[in-house]
Amino acid sequence: MAEFLQTHYYNLYVALIEADRWKQYLEGLGRTLLIAACATVMGILIGLVVAVIKVSAVNNRKLWPLEAICNLYLTVIRGTPVVVQLLILYTAVFTSMTNGTPVAIVGFGLNSGAYVAEIFRSGILSISRGQTEAGRSLGLTSWMTMRLIVLPQAIKNILPALFNEFITLLKETSVAGYIAVRDLTKVADGIKGRAFVGEPLFIAAVIYLVLVVGMTQIQKQLERRLAKGDRR
Amino acid sequence: MIDVKNLKKSFHGHCVLQGIDEKIEKGEKVVVIGPSGSGKSTFLRCLNRLEEPTSGEIWFDGVNIVDKKCDINKLRQKMGMVFQQFNLFAHLSVRENITLAPVKLGLMTQAEADQKAMQLLSRIGLAEKANSYPNQLSGGQQQRIAIVRALAMNPEVMLFDEPTSALDPEMVGEVLELMKQLASEGMTMVVVTHEMGFAREVGTRVLFMDGGQILEQNPPDVFFGNPQNPRLKDFLSKVL
Repeated sequence: MAEFLQTHYYNLYVALIEADRWKQYLEGLGRTLLIAACATVMGILIGLVVAVIKVSAVNNRKLWPLEAICNLYLTVIRGTPVVVQLLILYTAVFTSMTNGTPVAIVGFGLNSGAYVAEIFRSGILSISRGQTEAGRSLGLTSWMTMRLIVLPQAIKNILPALFNEFITLLKETSVAGYIAVRDLTKVADGIKGRAFVGEPLFIAAVIYLVLVVGMTQIQKQLERRLAKGDRR
Repeated sequence: MIDVKNLKKSFHGHCVLQGIDEKIEKGEKVVVIGPSGSGKSTFLRCLNRLEEPTSGEIWFDGVNIVDKKCDINKLRQKMGMVFQQFNLFAHLSVRENITLAPVKLGLMTQAEADQKAMQLLSRIGLAEKANSYPNQLSGGQQQRIAIVRALAMNPEVMLFDEPTSALDPEMVGEVLELMKQLASEGMTMVVVTHEMGFAREVGTRVLFMDGGQILEQNPPDVFFGNPQNPRLKDFLSKVL
């Protein structure tokens, strides 16, 4: 037993302290967070635009070209693996870019946008038509009605699904190593190779876990705050 | 004030309004009755273009609102609407429900709108509910607030789409009472309803619709006392 503990203690020392390796984890974590945060914001923006276009196109036939573009985007993004998308962006689109981080942000942002779009769309459709009609009958424009009345209520309904997507996205960034980004996973895998111990991967796993638990807490707080119209 | 000319509306080839001609003068209280599916709600909803007419003209304050070039949002500010399902904004407090449109449309400052909201709420005896949320209120309270929300825009005409149909029977009275008050203050009103008592008491003119047409219209005493159209006679014999 004592031997077992001693071995692991030593391995942890090698994985973390020796050669100041903990700094590498922090760098990798920073890159992971940067990519996830920027891609999340990008995904929300894309998702919102695509969802509003798709919902509006139902009543406004003039929007069909935009709707067609949105449908093509959704089909392609949801129909191909994110790793393949990243590799295509890195090797065929942003060919002059050697730094993979911005490419990863764009790649994950574009990818997440497709899923967020469908989540937003389901949220908008969950709000009764009467809410829109009431807004329009008061003279609000369709965009004001969407922004002030429909979206605030829709977001409350889709919060669980939305956080599901954010959590998935955060963990999905672990494939960024495919395009030479030294994110948390890539760093841990590298240290494992050099130090010949398995612990770095467990360290990475714990860090991801802590991040996700933190996000879940944020979700709970938000849900509580948005529930104020619900209490009877 | 509102002049409807040969208004037609069809949904997917199914003709719901087959050429309505109707003139509504300022101060009139026009009550529209008829069986379900007769097109009365569609007619009302065409008046502020919540339903897009298929053809015809609707003139309001000298503007043909069916014309795509008119600013329908501007015109809707002058036409209040009350719905069967109240449609209060569920995520906003009662006060915010009332002040949202006047403030966001730049008609009032938040302070002015708040003051107006409180004044209107006091009038209907619900001032203490200003910070409540819609689902904390009874149906009757919600509908009266919905009426007040429309009034906060200082509309020239109020459109009511079966305002009491979704209410518990004991709450119908309070909503009708408020509508009567409005009527007595001279508001122009178009009311689609099944409340025959209200039609008789408040209406200056009652229209009977069936099959997408106005089959008969008269002042309430004649309308109820001496109906001519066989379809109306049949309808009244069932509902009165």
